[in-house]
Amino acid sequence: MARAWRTAALAAVIAVLLLLLLPYLWIFLTSFKTRLDALADVPVWVFTPTYDHYPEVFINKGYLPLVWNSIIVAVLSTALSLVVGAPAAYVFARFDFTGREDLFFFFLTTRMAPPISVVVPMFLLFTTLGITDKPIAVILAHTTFNLSLVVWMMRGFFNDIPREIDEAAMMDGHSQLGTFLKILIPLAAPGLAATAVLCFILSWNEFLYAFILVAFEGRTLTVGIPGLITPHGTLWGQVAAVAVVATLPILVFTFIVQRHLVRGLTFGAVKG
Amino acid sequence: MIKRRMGAVLDRGLAPLLLIPSVLLLLLILVGPFLYMVWTAFTDLHYALPGRAGSFVGFDNFRRLMREDQIFWHSFLLTLRFVFWVVVVEFTAGFSLALLLFHFIQRRRLFLTLLLVPMMLAPVAVGLIWKLLLQGDFGMVTYYLRWIGIIDTRTALLSDPALVLLTIIFIDVWQWTPFVTLIMLAGLLSLPREPYEAAIMDGARPLQIFRDVTLPLLRPIIALVLLLRGIDAFKEFDKVFILTGGGPGTATELLSVYTYRVNFKDWDLGYGAVCAFMVYLVVLILCAVFYKAVFWHESRAPARKA
Repeated sequence: MARAWRTAALAAVIAVLLLLLLPYLWIFLTSFKTRLDALADVPVWVFTPTYDHYPEVFINKGYLPLVWNSIIVAVLSTALSLVVGAPAAYVFARFDFTGREDLFFFFLTTRMAPPISVVVPMFLLFTTLGITDKPIAVILAHTTFNLSLVVWMMRGFFNDIPREIDEAAMMDGHSQLGTFLKILIPLAAPGLAATAVLCFILSWNEFLYAFILVAFEGRTLTVGIPGLITPHGTLWGQVAAVAVVATLPILVFTFIVQRHLVRGLTFGAVKG
Repeated sequence: MIKRRMGAVLDRGLAPLLLIPSVLLLLLILVGPFLYMVWTAFTDLHYALPGRAGSFVGFDNFRRLMREDQIFWHSFLLTLRFVFWVVVVEFTAGFSLALLLFHFIQRRRLFLTLLLVPMMLAPVAVGLIWKLLLQGDFGMVTYYLRWIGIIDTRTALLSDPALVLLTIIFIDVWQWTPFVTLIMLAGLLSLPREPYEAAIMDGARPLQIFRDVTLPLLRPIIALVLLLRGIDAFKEFDKVFILTGGGPGTATELLSVYTYRVNFKDWDLGYGAVCAFMVYLVVLILCAVFYKAVFWHESRAPARKA
């Protein structure tokens, strides 16, 4: 009886997984299909692969710089968020001051802020400042959500470190700043790394800010995607190739931080 | 000794020193634009019409929103419907899957890893994938749905006004159900054992245990999942933008898609600021509910000084 239940459950879970994974498999396959196979009336599962789409779209159509832009934006936004956010998280974890929780709530609201609302005035301000279409515009925009993610996640990681360690370090003659930099940061390094990867993913995947704030030179990979879809004659092989390049590295990263993902996605509310 | 004294001087101002950069940065990139948006909402700024350089017009834009703009309220209701169904279906399906994994499957690491795939994809890429799958003349899913007979040969899910909202809801469910599963499973795994042992001693049946022990214990996590998904769904833009652009007609014009249109297609920025403000307002309210429901108790506990 219990055995039968287990088998049924396993079958159900596998069915769900197929449903979740087949769409991705399909776009992956499409990126290696000839135009004829991609547009066939009856879905083609087995075919002779072509490797033309990747060089065609990334080299001949010039999508390679978009990959580079995405990397620059994601790396710099992550770095900025960590450098500014980790010390703030430490203060939230170790100091008591009036208004601390209200300030913390403020950080939460910035994480949740709807991009469409922020980007409208940001576009006007950045146009005035003349920094639209430059990576810095998107880096700053992505910092609006990454900074508070760092503060929320790192506060949890610092809280996990027993205060006795701080006290011992101070007894040894470290200043408080020294304790933070030389003792706590190394101890929280795995958490810091996981937070960094998560920031990178969020920035890499982001579309709306980048779409509004950069138009030509500064475009990121996600911004390049809509331009490939035309009402007639969309080259699906090339579209699929861009989609694969935009997603595969992220999936690899996801598996690296899987252990910390639950915490990152719930603002540290669930430890996972 | 001198070094130590320097350290002590630095330490006195340490908390503000470490905290202020983050606050300043957020003021600069978030509060600044927010205030500018509020100001713009009181002007007639328009990039596409001559003579609308942004002079003060009082509450005209707000009045227009309340009295004249039916499309806005259509979008608003549409968004609420979208959020409601997305949250209900994702929660039911995701929680069920979490229970299956929790009770019947011991070695679930690989399952969980694979489960993560849809939700880690860029939403734009998700939109793209489903646009390909749902193409009317050669889409893979379209083909099999017709083959089974669920839709007839003329129907295309993304251009049929009656089915398109349902399709968008399904795609969001496809992407985010795993999120619910992941969080709920983490919640189930974190539950203490004692209440269960006591319930079994009392002779409670499995369904009773689920209702009287599991659900109450999971309440904070359930609140968290519902609110996080609700807030996120309310902000939905990327997938719909790629899949339908809000169409056909205004059948899928969610609030953020409408706000996008007013601002960046009509260039009616004064009025667009009011729309953006309304989206912000709803999210802020949900955010306050979220904070009260999830974090209030634990974070109000006084922290010791280091």
